[in-house]
Amino acid sequence: MHSKLQVRVRNIIEETSTIKRFTLEANDHSMLPYFSGGSHITTFLPYPSGTLERQYSIFNISPESGLFEIAVHLADGSTGGSRFWHQNVQVGDVLSVSYPKNYFPLSFQAKRHVFYAAGIGITPFLSMMAELAEKKSSFELHYAAKSKEQCGFYDYISKTYPHQCHFYFSNGDGAKRLLPTQLLNHRIGTHVYFCGPENLIQDFTTAAKSYGYPSFNIHAERFAPPQKKEQQAFQVKIKRSGKQLDIPVNSSLLEVLLQHGINVPFSCRAGGCGTCEVRVVKGQIDHYDSFLTEEEQRSNHMMLSCVSRGKGRLVLDL
Amino acid sequence: MISHFSLPYPFSDSNVYKYSNNAALLHTKNAIELTDRYLDEISLKRELLTKHPERCYHSSPHTMAAQWEIVDLIINNLVTYYPDKFELEKKDGQWIFSNLLTKETASFKFGDRTTLEIEPLDFIGRHVQEDLILMMQRDGDLILDAGQLCFPANWSLYFNSEMNFKEIHSPIPGFQSDFLVDRILQFLMRIEAGTPWERKNWSLMAGSRLDSSLETFSEWGQARKRVTKENAGELVHFRVEVQKLFRLPKSNGILFTIHSHMLSLEKFIQHTPWLEQFYAILRELPKAIYDYKGISLYREQVLDYLEAELKKR
Ligand code: HEM
Ligand code: FES
Repeated sequence: MHSKLQVRVRNIIEETSTIKRFTLEANDHSMLPYFSGGSHITTFLPYPSGTLERQYSIFNISPESGLFEIAVHLADGSTGGSRFWHQNVQVGDVLSVSYPKNYFPLSFQAKRHVFYAAGIGITPFLSMMAELAEKKSSFELHYAAKSKEQCGFYDYISKTYPHQCHFYFSNGDGAKRLLPTQLLNHRIGTHVYFCGPENLIQDFTTAAKSYGYPSFNIHAERFAPPQKKEQQAFQVKIKRSGKQLDIPVNSSLLEVLLQHGINVPFSCRAGGCGTCEVRVVKGQIDHYDSFLTEEEQRSNHMMLSCVSRGKGRLVLDL
Repeated sequence: MISHFSLPYPFSDSNVYKYSNNAALLHTKNAIELTDRYLDEISLKRELLTKHPERCYHSSPHTMAAQWEIVDLIINNLVTYYPDKFELEKKDGQWIFSNLLTKETASFKFGDRTTLEIEPLDFIGRHVQEDLILMMQRDGDLILDAGQLCFPANWSLYFNSEMNFKEIHSPIPGFQSDFLVDRILQFLMRIEAGTPWERKNWSLMAGSRLDSSLETFSEWGQARKRVTKENAGELVHFRVEVQKLFRLPKSNGILFTIHSHMLSLEKFIQHTPWLEQFYAILRELPKAIYDYKGISLYREQVLDYLEAELKKR
């Protein structure tokens, strides 16, 4: 349902031995859309087995406006996305990406913003710091990496934000670790933002709560789960009537329900408005919508019948 | 459904009207539509803005960047979809915008407030028939932080300023139950740049004033008492608001545009399927909804009129 942008890879820079920065420009020479601090894009990578969707935070630290930049860390045992970017993508290649989205926005009412990053988790903070610097708002960064050499954007950050940045290198002499106790040093009204490996986010979130930070003041990066593309046929049972219905591969649950006189309200038919929600009593759901929150999707109690599907058989509360 | 007299038709197949999220994807991504009433309506807008600025315009200081984003979006729409009516020339950050219908040219430096006489939102709103509302996304909520509103259907910009989405919608019957208001807020928060949405709202109006603000209710609300079965066709107007929603990617705000269309009932019902469906809907409309829409005083008269017309077909 969502519009895509065609971009061309203008430039590739090796930031560290495992991090590459890609500068993307509009394929038609127009300007790419603006974006707010903390935004990301989905990139659609052409794979022999189908399109691979991967999300990356965007920033633009180049001197020109109207560009997107992403940084990709080549992970050990990469699931495909980072390997593809590192090994297959060349300057001049044309790719599809989504419009910018923001699931990690800056707080409006924060008196001060403090960012905690580890490794490639620095990327959303690049655009957030740029936005705050432009607005002359108050912020600081705590950034952990293995070493100075493996610390992406070290030179850029230390030059651009000399008074706001603090580095923590865990390897070598004089190793300095980034610890959650650092959270005790911030004034009331501070909002804290975490991005990095899952255990960092969890440790810092738990610590922040135990130190009395309201959950409203704690922010962590969240990416939408990648969408699966293969659709399967499935069955549903209607709880009240006991009726069984088959949903073939090329029909939606909503269509089949309507054909059988079960009048579920609907509007967009594209998984975006939330109107066609049905309650699910039993069975596993494959969510394809862009409306429900991650928690709602995981609860397995509700689905948007215009796009989402069942794995095998579902029992619907209808 | 084809539009008669260019009125966008607000009902789906169902003969029962109830509140739901009736938004759908906007395929032609144009925030703005010009009708043959263009010149009349924008001159009325400008008159209202001059005489009653406190009622028709509001903005918070932190909205300036988002206001420029709106200028960019709307001018882009105008020159893309109406290239014979609007022109834009860009030279080193200087924008020269020409409206060939009003024969006006404005020259300003994009992003520089001092190069316009009025605020950017106020400026661009004076070139379009739509009312323009800016909802800023702040700390997980949507707040009405700026707006240019000349044609409200019985609400007040002044009163709703700085309110969040839920507070704005608190007078609507049944909206709080079933978590409908939460679901719609969730929908709005998820709107993405490049994927705009559209919905329609309808009401009836005794009289044909577009500027029916809450503040001037005493001037136009009296006509409700004058409706009879005999004059309903001429006096009562069917009003449709086409509302569009655009995510502004830089400020992360939402632009909400409202285009109000109006048609007398006698013209509206010339199309028999509309007459039949609207009669059915109005007859079944829950009391709470027609009370809220301000139809109670003359609903019976309108029903009598529609019924008589149905018998003639
Ligand atoms: C975000 C932008 C929006 C703004 C600024 C807005 C504003 C308003 C206002 C000012 C009213 C009149 C309230 C009163 O009586 O005081 C209203 C009514 C209403 N709104 Fe919204 N609204 C927005 C989006 C939506 C959306 C997305 C829906 C989706 C269903 C919606 C549904 C309604 C309904 C059903 C009414 C009652 C209208 C009637 O029955 O005449 N609104 N809105
Ligand atoms: S109809 Fe809009 S989400 Fe299904």
